[in-house]
Amino acid sequence: MSRHRKRRKQGDVELNLAAMLDMAFQLLTFFILTFKPAPVEGQISLRLPPPLPIDAGGQKEAGEDTTSKELIKSVKTLTISVFAEPNGSVSAYGIGEAPVTTLSLLDKRLKEIFGAPDNPFEQVVIQVGKALRYDELMKVVEVCTRQTLPDGSKLSKLSFVEAAQ
Amino acid sequence: MEPTEGTPNLTPILDMVFQLITFFMLVINFKSASMDLSLHLPVVGSARPVEGQTDLLILNITPDGKINVYGIPQENIENYIAREAASTLLTLHRDHPDLKAGDELPTIVVIRADKSTPFTLLYRVITACQQQGFRHFALKAMNKSES
Repeated sequence: MSRHRKRRKQGDVELNLAAMLDMAFQLLTFFILTFKPAPVEGQISLRLPPPLPIDAGGQKEAGEDTTSKELIKSVKTLTISVFAEPNGSVSAYGIGEAPVTTLSLLDKRLKEIFGAPDNPFEQVVIQVGKALRYDELMKVVEVCTRQTLPDGSKLSKLSFVEAAQ
Repeated sequence: MEPTEGTPNLTPILDMVFQLITFFMLVINFKSASMDLSLHLPVVGSARPVEGQTDLLILNITPDGKINVYGIPQENIENYIAREAASTLLTLHRDHPDLKAGDELPTIVVIRADKSTPFTLLYRVITACQQQGFRHFALKAMNKSES
């Protein structure tokens, strides 16, 4: 069977797609080579006001005496201490003056404190050892942000202070 | 048999290539350019991805406490944060003319610190941000370990 080529009429324009295909392949190569999917990162949202000295007796307003360098002492502020080994790991935890041996025990104690019907605490100050690694700190922050306040909201008001070594 | 002249039809292949280009253009993430992907973030199970926040100040903190901005380490952290706060304040001035330096800023400071960064270096960055009026922080972490 013989094949007949269609005769083009004079004046017909045929687009040369080869050049366009070349360019499209170049663009495709660029996008394939630069494609790097970003990892899905999570976050812990916090409101971190600067630690302001508060009078325990309730005679002064919060932040009235900003020149004081003393650690916050207030009935509404719970102090958690996280001390560090020189290599950055945790050497000890503490709630107020009481030592806590493990992170799970810290979580348990905080649940007891924040779950009490007469819980007076609204915010937490975390006193952190200078050498403590960020991943160890995040574990403590995670435990704190898991706690629920009497109004049903999650604890998000934290402050950090550096512990004296 | 007579040799015949064959012209391949390039239209379908061009269509397919354009579709692939469209796909890659849509999935390209320019936001990741501001993130230092060499940092090893800590793993925290309760960290959840949050979308839709626009007013962000992303701080990539290296284990030696430097801030990496598009791959360039900033030597003077306090100066860099002060400059960022000043530019935020300038933008906010259009809607809030009474806002002054040191007032609370609505910008969320996104802290992307390497998991081995010592607290003292991180604290320096947080304190510098607080002094400039930043109060809202987002501590970045992976919710499962990279393997």
